Amino acid sequence: MKRNAVVFVMLVVVITGMLAVGKYLDRSRKGGPVKLIGDVHNVPAPDFELPSLDGRKVKLSDFRGRAVLLNFWATWCSPCKIEMPWFVDLQKQYGKDGLVVLGVAMDDTDASKIAEFAHDLGVNYPVLLGTDQVSDDYGDVRALPTTFYIDRNGTIVAKAVGLLGRQEIEDDIKKALNASYKPPVTQPNRTATAVQPKRSKEATQ
Amino acid sequence: MTRPALYLIATLLTCTIWAQSPGDRVPSVTMAPVGNVQLRAGGTAELILDFRIGTDFHINSNKPKADYLIPTVLKLTPSEPVTIAEVKYPAGEDMSFAFSPNEKLSVYSGDFSINAVLKAPAGTAAGTYAIKGELRFQACDRSACYPPRSIPVQFQVDVKK
Repeated sequence: MKRNAVVFVMLVVVITGMLAVGKYLDRSRKGGPVKLIGDVHNVPAPDFELPSLDGRKVKLSDFRGRAVLLNFWATWCSPCKIEMPWFVDLQKQYGKDGLVVLGVAMDDTDASKIAEFAHDLGVNYPVLLGTDQVSDDYGDVRALPTTFYIDRNGTIVAKAVGLLGRQEIEDDIKKALNASYKPPVTQPNRTATAVQPKRSKEATQ
Repeated sequence: MTRPALYLIATLLTCTIWAQSPGDRVPSVTMAPVGNVQLRAGGTAELILDFRIGTDFHINSNKPKADYLIPTVLKLTPSEPVTIAEVKYPAGEDMSFAFSPNEKLSVYSGDFSINAVLKAPAGTAAGTYAIKGELRFQACDRSACYPPRSIPVQFQVDVKK
């Protein structure tokens, strides 16, 4: 009887594992950037390029070396409206330490309405216009607010779904700020090395 | 029930709970089946449509208290010449939530009903007429909100002379 129970449990665990691996492989086969599934701690944040409300193209990887609070929100989301003024304060408080707050609006509405909403809340950080692709890359973001805390090396150190207390948000910001920056190691490039002396020569002339 | 079966159920439950983070939950709104709707040509009939919202979720009422909130709206498209004379929404329940204790929101939760007044002009041929439409809503739970969704609404009306 006991052996039967163990076999049942093992079967369930094996089937669940196979389903999870199958789902992962199915997504991986589709190509494109790595998508976040399940536990997202200590995994690289998927890079993206999104338009901002002021018409710029903003790339996540441009902020390497700084900690990023990436907040998915929408104008119809009441809990989002509560925490956005906190982000304004926290951006002021921790900006000098290297924090960048990025808002990603998941609205299906005019950018002007999003801008008006953000303006009314005194938002002082870039607001980007989200896409289904970026939502998918970050693990199909449906519940809002959802916030990712990304350290200076582009690694996700915390994820929060739903409204948290301000203290918890601040703790996650500190976690993201505390990681020391490791600049990416670039491979020596022969062409670049060959060109370098010529530039120096020109500079001295 | 045998012990292995109990183990199996317990394990499955554990796996299910483990697999669901707050973001995995999908708010549900379902409509109860509509019975036989009778309408006389030249007359009106008031139909009650019953909806149920999933546990722990609420949706905005038809008249939310802020412009930025998405109201619950029932859109019905009847087969001609049947028309929808009026849609009557229930009043929302004024509730405040942990995410905004000082703000009251007008919401529906649990079960709620919307009344639709159907009208068949005089001279409408006897027969069965399909009414199609959708209920659009935007749901939240105690700490998060979910994108607006629509569910199909469909029923038939028997028009008699």
